[in-house]
Amino acid sequence: MAVTRREMLARAGAGFGAFGVNALFGAPARTTSGALAPRTPHFAARATRVVYLFLNGGPSQVDTFDPKPMLTKHHGSPAPSGNLKTERLTGNLLKSPFEFRRCGRSGTEVSEIFPKLGEHMDDICVIRSMHVEQPFHEPSLFMFNCGHRIAGHPSMGAWLTYGLGTENQNLPGFLVLCPGFPVIGPQLWTSAYLPAIHQGVHLPNNEREPEKLVRHLQNHELSPAQQRGQLDLLERLNRLHLERAGGDPQLEARIQSMEVAYRMQSEAMDAFDLSKEPRHVLDRYGEGDFARGCLLARRAIERGVRMVQVYYGNGQPWDNHDDILKHRELAADSDAPIGALLSDLKSLGLLDETIVLIGGEFGRTPSVEVSAVAKVHNGRDHNNHGFSILLAGGGIKGGIAYGATDDFGFKAVDKPVHPHDVHATMLHLLGLDHTRLTFRYSGRDFRLTDVGGRVIEEILA
Amino acid sequence: MRLGLALLAASLALGSDGKAGGEYFEMKVRPALANNCFSCHTSAKMGDLVMDSREALLRGGQSGPAVRPGDPDGSLLIQAVRQTHDRIKMPPGGRLPASDIEALERWIRDGAEWPEHASVSPAPAGLRIGEEQRAWWAFQPVRKPDPPPVKDEAWARTTIDRFVLARLERENLRPVRPADRRTLIRRASYDLTGLPPTPAEVDAFVADRSAEAFEKVVDRLLASPRYGERWGRYWLDIARYSDDKLNSTQDEPQPNVWRYRDWVIQAFNDDMPYDLFVKAQIVGDRMGDKEKYVAGLGFFANSPQFQEDRVDALGRGFLALTVACAQCHDHKFDPIPTRDYYSLLGIFRNTRADKFPLAPPEVVEAYESRKKAADERSKAVREFEDSQAKQLAEILAAQSPRYLKAVRALADLADERAIEEAARSQSLDRETLARWARYLGLETHEHPFLQRWREAAFDDGAFTARLLAAVAEKKRIDRENLIRLGGKDDDESVRVIEVLSLERDQYFLWRDLVSNERFGKFDSGILYYRGEKIDRFLAPQWKEHLAGLRAERDRLSDELPEEYPFLMSIADVEKPKPMRVHLRGSEDNLGEEAPPQFLTVLGDGEPRPFTNGSGRLELANAIASPENPLTARVAVNRIWGYHFGRPIVGTPGNFGKLGEAPTHPELLDYLAARLVELKWSQKALHREIMLSNAYALSAQSVEPNRTKDPDNKLVWRANRQRLDVEPMRDTLLFVSGELDERRGGEALEIGDDCNLRRTVYGFVSRRRLDSTLALFDFPNPVATSDARIHTATPLQQLYFLNSEFIQERAGAFALRLRSSARGDRERIREAYRILLQREPLAPELRLGLTYLASGQDAWRRYAQVLLSSNELLFVD
Repeated sequence: MAVTRREMLARAGAGFGAFGVNALFGAPARTTSGALAPRTPHFAARATRVVYLFLNGGPSQVDTFDPKPMLTKHHGSPAPSGNLKTERLTGNLLKSPFEFRRCGRSGTEVSEIFPKLGEHMDDICVIRSMHVEQPFHEPSLFMFNCGHRIAGHPSMGAWLTYGLGTENQNLPGFLVLCPGFPVIGPQLWTSAYLPAIHQGVHLPNNEREPEKLVRHLQNHELSPAQQRGQLDLLERLNRLHLERAGGDPQLEARIQSMEVAYRMQSEAMDAFDLSKEPRHVLDRYGEGDFARGCLLARRAIERGVRMVQVYYGNGQPWDNHDDILKHRELAADSDAPIGALLSDLKSLGLLDETIVLIGGEFGRTPSVEVSAVAKVHNGRDHNNHGFSILLAGGGIKGGIAYGATDDFGFKAVDKPVHPHDVHATMLHLLGLDHTRLTFRYSGRDFRLTDVGGRVIEEILA
Repeated sequence: MRLGLALLAASLALGSDGKAGGEYFEMKVRPALANNCFSCHTSAKMGDLVMDSREALLRGGQSGPAVRPGDPDGSLLIQAVRQTHDRIKMPPGGRLPASDIEALERWIRDGAEWPEHASVSPAPAGLRIGEEQRAWWAFQPVRKPDPPPVKDEAWARTTIDRFVLARLERENLRPVRPADRRTLIRRASYDLTGLPPTPAEVDAFVADRSAEAFEKVVDRLLASPRYGERWGRYWLDIARYSDDKLNSTQDEPQPNVWRYRDWVIQAFNDDMPYDLFVKAQIVGDRMGDKEKYVAGLGFFANSPQFQEDRVDALGRGFLALTVACAQCHDHKFDPIPTRDYYSLLGIFRNTRADKFPLAPPEVVEAYESRKKAADERSKAVREFEDSQAKQLAEILAAQSPRYLKAVRALADLADERAIEEAARSQSLDRETLARWARYLGLETHEHPFLQRWREAAFDDGAFTARLLAAVAEKKRIDRENLIRLGGKDDDESVRVIEVLSLERDQYFLWRDLVSNERFGKFDSGILYYRGEKIDRFLAPQWKEHLAGLRAERDRLSDELPEEYPFLMSIADVEKPKPMRVHLRGSEDNLGEEAPPQFLTVLGDGEPRPFTNGSGRLELANAIASPENPLTARVAVNRIWGYHFGRPIVGTPGNFGKLGEAPTHPELLDYLAARLVELKWSQKALHREIMLSNAYALSAQSVEPNRTKDPDNKLVWRANRQRLDVEPMRDTLLFVSGELDERRGGEALEIGDDCNLRRTVYGFVSRRRLDSTLALFDFPNPVATSDARIHTATPLQQLYFLNSEFIQERAGAFALRLRSSARGDRERIREAYRILLQREPLAPELRLGLTYLASGQDAWRRYAQVLLSSNELLFVD
């Protein structure tokens, strides 16, 4: 016999269905089953969410977070120990055109081009000893995002929703914001061999209207009442079918996700509508795609989205081979949004449980690029041997700098850190053992950290 | 902490005598040397030191021997890495981790033994392959087993049934009842064609009481060209087919690749024997009747990015072996030594991408030569324009003081009339003046030379001199760089040859004023007149000359025919190069030679190296052989899996140790043997499978079966399966009467409103997969894909709620019903017959009628509900 919507919701409340009665009253819906339902981690978690601000193209460490007085001193001379091999030929040492300043109580030194970000250094751990295998964008992008140097492996966000589900069932669990695409594109947020439900949902944050951010979000043909009527009918027909089939989790799952989709329409419209923010907040974030991205990230994190990744821009804006002074403009465009995001997360009490990762796919050489590809020789080549990233919140020890590059900022020499280690540490804070978060595919267990990864205990609060 | 871990790992590798032996060397010493020293101290011989063998280290370089066995403190190598030597500190610009230094010390203390083998090339740690390894079930020859006895002889209609039933009876399970006829024809139609049966087809089958009724249905479906569109697509999953390349920064379509897709579809429709089908995809260019087969090479020509991918696709796709796992080390679980991996990789390294023209040679030649002529003429036009624009820019640069003065006098830099007036009164070029005004009006410039341009005291002359000096300097530098590059402009040369550049500020001055480079909102330096903008400055005879060049260019490019069609293929290189093992996957660390040959475990004893070209032909013969224990098993396992929703080996791309064991090993072997007996005809095998009673089971779930075998591994019922994205989208178009069944040809965007063709003809992108495909679990086309998975996500349901596609199909379906039946009741019945191949039940009819009474345009909304229903999207 037919089951009415009311009856079904009543059953749902009793634990039969997929969603709690909260959903009826507008509180965040939490499902009790389904692939994206929140899952208990391996052990007690310090953090529950992740924001990954990706400064794509390769920001230069010696111009941002890794001051090198020796570089200034030897400006214009050859590096005493020679240049390391990178993608292109580099020449003499090139000092940073920017001053470094001590920031916060901790006194961590930060380049003058990041004044607002600098105010948060007491909450931030700078890892100054990052390294990756190759001085090329693609393998390094894959490594930071998917834990492998080649295409075909799931993205960190996909691993997180696979391992932890997500708290808000009315929004996707893994959002990727980029105006256009970074180099490589959607393969960076793929679910690969994990079920497709885990792939990142790309929001083109150059768009301003929620409907342009999420596909098929609204129905312009039907009134809400008409759509509700449609769904009620659909549900009754599906229930009749389910009964005849003698029950089936697959059929049940689709019935449930149809209801979630219905609610997502209003939840996403609200979550992604920046016009709901007061003027003074919009002003603090500033103008531009990245500012909008950071603000959208905050609104998504507030609503329980598991991971939000914001790419700085289309292509690879931070790839300044020609003229390192470009970094000043890029920082001017990203400093205020990052500062505002960190401030907001902190004042909302969310920073404690949100890991914020800020960085690019590699750093840049302290020596000037002198290849024929560079139009003018005032820039830096890719540097995989040593560079910096920032971590904050979610159980990370703030106000410290971990590891070091050599005197000129070329190579990580003290406590080198690989992206596998960063992933292992982040998973650890999220309550996951990186060696146990695995997926068996084609007869082998795969994981985000491949066959590496070490939890960096020294940077945990 | 870290140090402790490293020591532990190191001690594990020590030999039983506690000495640093071969394994210690491979685990600790060689990686340290390879990662830090080999890039400069192997072929590059920095400081005359070579470090890839014990002898070389003992010999040393300019500063003497690098290693004194037994004496780490006295060894130059150790002093250098400890950085205690007064002059030599290694590696440059860094320091080895303490664990590496310690490993080197220990190794030298223990005698600096370099494991035997060869200098740079010790064989990989010895994975022996013998009887024991070959005993794994998947490597055993296929033997056709005798059909087992069963208790319920009546149920076991075919031999296949005997294998299935015997297995069930062993567990005391009974199969459920057979499916009803409408369920069976729906299942068969979706299975073979990806589309539902029409009401007429259902009626005919239900009415046909003959014993061959279902056989007729199966034969009709197998003969349909829709069969290839359905099953060809599954093969395209394995072939990681895509219509573009995984380009990092921009879309890069592969305009001819669809010919491979069409070839695959046609091969299925023609029932090309599977062995030939496989062979064609490896070596179609070398087969007799090559026109028929060469298109198959698209399988490898369509490789996403790396040669390595080809080994992976070959291994998992044809043999269900994860050969690619042996890239860095011997396979951890299966008997695949690293050398086998490189033997196969070498075959692909010795092939190159090729075009196989589908036009007569004279057409190809004519096209190529006309293309060349058109390109040359285009270049001539561009070069002439550029040379004139450069000269003009210099002339205008010299006139800068006059323009600066004029702009300075403007009250409003955007006032076009004032600009025009100033140009006229001072005999300046109006556009040039306007450009200067716009440029000077920018808030900032990248160079500092115009910061005070507004001030009366600004020295226009000095500025101009600086500008002209920059122009002159740039010319000098360009000439010098031409010499330095020696005319080379390949990717490598431009990256690694040191050239000169203007000093930064000077560069931006040059760029902004006289270069042809775009910056900000300017499409070139402001004094550079690009393309046709140069014309008005030219003397009449030069203008005429240029017009002539352009007319010639336009004529040549207009007359250029469309490029001749070709197949993307591969060919052997002229001189195959020997392949060596890359130790730990690193090209800097070469090991023993890996001659082209087949997998050791699949032959008897040592494999015989291939001798014919790259070795592709011999490789293809080794795979497409009835003797190969994997090829037929892998093929039948997939066919079974797509029919039953679960293959016999649950990991269709991995028959190795980590794959799943077959649920029905004898059945698998029986089917494999049958495939060979049936002359590798896949259609004949479909037929045998589909005419079994096992295939015809209902999807009903019953006890105790559900408790004993919840995943239905033993086939006691049919598995309910959600439609894959292609049959899903195709069904929506088919039932609404809109499906465009033209076959083959160039791919169309799936998101294009006008694209009403079957989904298999939609554009598949590696760079950005169509959103509908991505939403509904289409396999990622960057790697070979084993199986489809199905998810149920809210974003998918938003598609059913709101997408234009679904609303348009609903509208068309409603329209179709209006013209084909009278009255709501009849139309509802017709809708159920078309969509679900059955009559509506009473409550369904009642719900429909009530809903339709609810208001205007209700039919369209009702149709959308039916198109979104679970029963439509799942096949029992």
